[in-house]
Amino acid sequence: MSQINRRNFIKVAAAASSATALSFPSIARAAAKAKVVVIGGGYAGATAAKYIKRLDAGIDVTLIEPNPVYTSCPLSNEALVGHRDLKTLQVGYDGLKKRGVNVLQDLVTGVDRARKTVTTKGGNTLSYDALVMSPGITFHYDTIEGYSESLINDIPHAWEAGPQTLLLKKQLEAMPDGGVFVIVVPKGPFRCPPGPYERASLVANYFQHHGKKKSKVIILDGNDSHSKKGLFNQAWAKMYGWEKEGLNTNGMIEWLKGAEGGFINKLDAKTKTVSSDFVDVKADVLNIIPPHKAGRIAVTTGLAGSTGNNFEKGWCKVQPMDMASAVDPNVYVVGDSCVAGEMSTYGNPNAAFDMPKSAHIAMAQAKVAAAAIVAKVNGLPTPQPYYANTCYSVVGDDYGISVAHLYRVVNGTFKYIPEGSGVSPVTMPDGSPVPPIYRKLEAEYADGWLRNVMADAFL
Amino acid sequence: MKRAVLSVLSVAGLCAATGALAVDNIRGLAMTCDNCHGTGGTSVGLSMPSIAGLPEAYLKNIMMEWKTGKRASANMTRLIKGYSEDEIAALAGYYAKLPWKPQPQSVAADVLLKGKDASEACENCHGKTGASEEDDTPHLNGQWAKYLELELMKYRDPGFAMPHRKMTNAAKKLGADQVQPAAQYYGAQSK
Repeated sequence: MSQINRRNFIKVAAAASSATALSFPSIARAAAKAKVVVIGGGYAGATAAKYIKRLDAGIDVTLIEPNPVYTSCPLSNEALVGHRDLKTLQVGYDGLKKRGVNVLQDLVTGVDRARKTVTTKGGNTLSYDALVMSPGITFHYDTIEGYSESLINDIPHAWEAGPQTLLLKKQLEAMPDGGVFVIVVPKGPFRCPPGPYERASLVANYFQHHGKKKSKVIILDGNDSHSKKGLFNQAWAKMYGWEKEGLNTNGMIEWLKGAEGGFINKLDAKTKTVSSDFVDVKADVLNIIPPHKAGRIAVTTGLAGSTGNNFEKGWCKVQPMDMASAVDPNVYVVGDSCVAGEMSTYGNPNAAFDMPKSAHIAMAQAKVAAAAIVAKVNGLPTPQPYYANTCYSVVGDDYGISVAHLYRVVNGTFKYIPEGSGVSPVTMPDGSPVPPIYRKLEAEYADGWLRNVMADAFL
Repeated sequence: MKRAVLSVLSVAGLCAATGALAVDNIRGLAMTCDNCHGTGGTSVGLSMPSIAGLPEAYLKNIMMEWKTGKRASANMTRLIKGYSEDEIAALAGYYAKLPWKPQPQSVAADVLLKGKDASEACENCHGKTGASEEDDTPHLNGQWAKYLELELMKYRDPGFAMPHRKMTNAAKKLGADQVQPAAQYYGAQSK
């Protein structure tokens, strides 16, 4: 932090030469006490930029993001089936600008960690005292034979909301009754753990409301279990005729686990047929969610693991106290690019103690990083971090479910707090069915949650 | 400038100085609530309540009731069990000190009249406009109408365990067609 100290010294010296200057914050602001660059303007990056400014307006913050408008992935499954307009998921960067954040519409092409500079496609070079790395994810199409990025206009992933969502929507609408909508889920960890199953639910809901009751949704899963499984199965049984796991059931939704052939490794794009070592499934509408890892710039910057299990390789390890990268204390990795949570359970597919790649936890991480950066710049100790998560899934009319996660940092390591975590009840404590009001409330809360997280991050 | 920074981080500093019983970094803890309840505790989501400026005793009581299982909630009963009693008390104190910012919502004149009539069942405790200053009574003026309607629904549903007998009785006295207007009447009040 020698650079910051030098800046502080210059600022103090300048102020001392004019005693009255101290009482005018605008003059103090004119000479920033530190420079922070934020790469990526999703939920994590926007929150980091906003909260650094909110905690200390004297820090110069520049957010670099290639797109002028952000489209929220959370609740984009509702846009997919026409329950909400995509516009309700969109927000620009004027709110951050109003808070004094410099917003640069550009793409970062390189980071020099030794010189602490960031270079962009547009030819800008920015120096930083602290860097917030929040580029989200990069898809890896090459893990499925016959699949490539050039196919995504015909076989949309819709795992980044926006045009992809609308493409898949068009295909869903054009699909005749009796058609098969296939969702291919990559091996975890992936962005939005309940997302594929929420999507299956809402597509089934769409079939019911649009005279396509003979149609099917087939989920081919790279994993042997999934988020909120008991709740999804219950909802599917209640609304969509769910019978049991496996293919060729009478239900509108079918789910094939990885070990029984759900792990897809081959595509015939012409016939929209996907294959595993056990099955071939032909789709009318094919939705492949490609395997993904930390955003490319985080990888080329040397922040991602190059070895280890599926949770370690390709994701960025962080320090629990402040979200700083495990390999560079001046770079903070927040959002989907990082891997965080109880490290001892990594690699165990049945343990859900890693932090989910959700907007909510991304914002929690960003707030922790923002507070840590502000404390460091001001020579104060790192504040105690708290990480909380809530993920709502809307799975039918007046039917919402959720999962909550709470993490603390104890003796410098992440600690999952089971008593503060958990899913919506599957039954009441006495075993009786959950009254419908619980599901209705959570469907309503999902919308309230969305509006607040969008405002808390971007406005 | 240094003074401004101190005011921002003073709570963390003070707690560190006063020892282990104090809650470290209450501001950081509160930030975990703001995701859903809005920056600084003032919500912009219609189904989510603003919590900034609600009375301390009310906030503490409701969180403790969730923690101990006396009050049902579709979601808060889970997260809150991970927070200590000290943290709950600190959060209640923190949000109670922030200003209550009513978000008056427009509503058709006839609904407003109907709601005003219905609100007579609420007036004794919550006041004519919902701006009660009692420490155990939440403000309703300019709270989100959608949220208030959902709360009334919870009190009126026999399958949903709400502990406040007086409130339960009052909510059940309302006719089904009075619930939404009553909520909208309070949501429309600015003070």
